[in-house]
Amino acid sequence: MDDLLKLVRTYRQTAGLAERLRLAEDIFRQIEPHLRFFVFKALHTSSADDVLQEVLKAVAMSLGKFNGDTLPAFWAWCYRIARNKLADHHRREASDRMQPMSHDELAELIEASAQDAPLSHQDKHDLEYAMKLLTRSKPDCYEYLWKHFVFGLAYAEIAEQQNLSYDNVRMRIGRCLEEAKSLVA
Amino acid sequence: MPQPPTEAELALEKLGQRLRAGFAKQHPAQSLDKVRDAVREQYEQEQEATRQSKPKPDVAKDQQRQPPEPDVDR
Repeated sequence: MDDLLKLVRTYRQTAGLAERLRLAEDIFRQIEPHLRFFVFKALHTSSADDVLQEVLKAVAMSLGKFNGDTLPAFWAWCYRIARNKLADHHRREASDRMQPMSHDELAELIEASAQDAPLSHQDKHDLEYAMKLLTRSKPDCYEYLWKHFVFGLAYAEIAEQQNLSYDNVRMRIGRCLEEAKSLVA
Repeated sequence: MPQPPTEAELALEKLGQRLRAGFAKQHPAQSLDKVRDAVREQYEQEQEATRQSKPKPDVAKDQQRQPPEPDVDR
């Protein structure tokens, strides 16, 4: 993943088209699955692929202008673009909203991840616990926990997205976590 | 000083990593045609902007070649 930031920096300093195309290919091979996940979990319809293409195009068009210097900053920047495109879509299609994933759907993704990194006994235990925390949460808490822990968005990012203060988001996520723990216990 | 993450937070972070990795495994990057088109489009826009910011060579030469304005008072 550190390579990703190097690629982005190199892209920013590259003037030639052929070299930019090669770098873009390497960058998007890494980020496309994450942005796909973000978009496909936010939308549940066939329009998700169209929105994803809009996101990829917007990221590609602005890639040379990204001036952050950390990987979290780069991801925050990518997700901000994706979020804006999703917001545009939601304005057009108000009913097209995220649906929580079931326990089985989550388990299927975990199974897929185990092909490259096998699960230890401890992993299985932790993941089972985490799935219960998530799936037993109320819808609004599910969304906060999902954004923070699954998409990996920082409190500040969620705050900006929800138009809330940093502390408000931090406290809401803390409360959701406590509530989920009590529901699982 | 920030609190160390709880067991629940660590478990959820682990879940997040696994879900992202699992999804990427199930959905490897697909056609990047749109990305290539966007990179080309952006490149052409930059080239166009560069061209417009420089004076056209022919115009510059013509301006150099123009004779001095005739002295109206004469």
